[in-house]
Amino acid sequence: MLTLNMNMKRLATDFAGIKMATPVMGASGTFGFGIEYRDFMDLKQVGAIISKGITPVPRAGNEGVRIAETPSGMLNCIGLENPGIDRFLQDILPKVKAEAPNTAFIANFSAGTVDDYGVMAAKLDVDGVDGVEVNISCPNVKEGGIVFGTDPRAAAAVTQAVKKNTKKPVIVKLSPNVTDITVMAKAVEEAGADAIALINTLTGMVIDIKTRSPLLGNITGGLSGPAVKPIAVRMVWQVANTVKIPILGLGGIVTAEDAIEFLLAGASAVAVGAENFVHPDAVVRVAQGIDNYLQENGLAHVSELVGKLEF
Amino acid sequence: MRKKLVEQAEIMSNNTLSEDVNYLVLYSPQVVDLAEPGQFVMIKNEQGSTYLRRPFGVADVDRANGRLLLIYRKAGKGTQELSNLQAGNRISVEGPLGNGFSFRSESEAAEAYGDTLLIGGGVGIAPIIYAARHLSEKTSCKPIVLLGVRNKNELYWSQFLEEYAQALIYTTDDGSYGIKGFAINAIPDILDKYPNIKHIKVCGPTIMMKGIAELAAKKGIECQVSLEKRMACGIGVCLGCTFEGKSGKRWKVCADGPVFDGVEVFG
Repeated sequence: MLTLNMNMKRLATDFAGIKMATPVMGASGTFGFGIEYRDFMDLKQVGAIISKGITPVPRAGNEGVRIAETPSGMLNCIGLENPGIDRFLQDILPKVKAEAPNTAFIANFSAGTVDDYGVMAAKLDVDGVDGVEVNISCPNVKEGGIVFGTDPRAAAAVTQAVKKNTKKPVIVKLSPNVTDITVMAKAVEEAGADAIALINTLTGMVIDIKTRSPLLGNITGGLSGPAVKPIAVRMVWQVANTVKIPILGLGGIVTAEDAIEFLLAGASAVAVGAENFVHPDAVVRVAQGIDNYLQENGLAHVSELVGKLEF
Repeated sequence: MRKKLVEQAEIMSNNTLSEDVNYLVLYSPQVVDLAEPGQFVMIKNEQGSTYLRRPFGVADVDRANGRLLLIYRKAGKGTQELSNLQAGNRISVEGPLGNGFSFRSESEAAEAYGDTLLIGGGVGIAPIIYAARHLSEKTSCKPIVLLGVRNKNELYWSQFLEEYAQALIYTTDDGSYGIKGFAINAIPDILDKYPNIKHIKVCGPTIMMKGIAELAAKKGIECQVSLEKRMACGIGVCLGCTFEGKSGKRWKVCADGPVFDGVEVFG
């Protein structure tokens, strides 16, 4: 009953070696470990589950208010709350594979040092993990990798450390909080990344004028939702013109039309983020909408849209 | 079986109870079928200008007619826009979410289980309605209900609760009705008058719940508290609403709660 009618042949996607039912994934931090959404969709129709960011040790996250609504979007400063790599491998991954055995699973992780990125990659090089997404762009914690995400040499060092320690496809998730995102993209491509994901959230801030203090406990947070989409599409387009490796486009996708913009700009696959909070079936609805567009336009496969921007 | 879902609900009525509080009746039969006392729903007004859903405690359900009752204070832009919607309009309801209050199981004798004191403060009184009806109709032991409100203009809660309570007691901040003061001030006398109270369930401002949970712990009375925290998803993924319990365990208000043991939350 939850299975939506869509042509799975037109949508089947190989993203950097990860085999996916559709090109539409659930973005890290907005999709839990996937199984939280089982009541809202047939998980077989999810392109990939990208896990909540995992760290070497459990993290409690930031104190105080963590969420704020903003015009057409939201700010968050969760602070990478997660149970840590060991509990993820022991308790969570087996549950995910039991409930969604046929859905691609990408483990998102970060660490505080280049060496720890390598250690994490090695620990995640296990059955049931189809690829890893390297977070060098969490704006809310120092150990969330942002120090690596704004310096091309550091980003390259992390990428190399991860590549050296895993056979899985390696996706590096970039921060938009840089002057020139193509410099970062080029650096991680040269360091061996198999794919690039962009964008992570944009750093933002809200002030409560009644108390004259920052609304968020961490003072600043990451902006996501429809408000960031034009920036994300522009950055995907710039990076697509710079690198040869595939791009996972995300940032403010609400509808299939939004996702198609990313594909035309040069993304080979997309992820839905904040919108999962608002419409918990968004990942599969977007996939179905892409399929409708393919059919209406007489296209045999979604890959025929990738980078087909016309001028 | 699905335990939660999204339903496009038709507004049956959306009327004012007072200047700033509305009661909203929705036709949402699938959510109503599943909703238990203390659970909540996430509402999205697709015509509104806000982006995220907003959590609302389930005030009551009418299963025979598929009706869902929500009572809300017009506090911000989202609830202000919600108050402008009329009968016939539709809104998106996601739910039922979380874990609600627990009650006497069928194997326990009513006498041994004892009386229940339900306490609500402000708009936190809403979920107390469903809990009171459940106690009255399903466990045949009408609760004692204590409501903390600002003044005598907020006695409209009686119409929803009178029928289900063996006693309905108000405190008002200004003393314009009932007992002057906060709900907690009325508890010692209530416990004297109803010595068989063995359970307290409370929903209201954090400071109120903290005081009551601490008092209950001292008296050895089981106390369940219903928490409210900012959240984006309502299903345990955004982690906006987590907290560390007294046991050291981390909890999600939305998915593990919103109802928790008072000792775990407040000590």
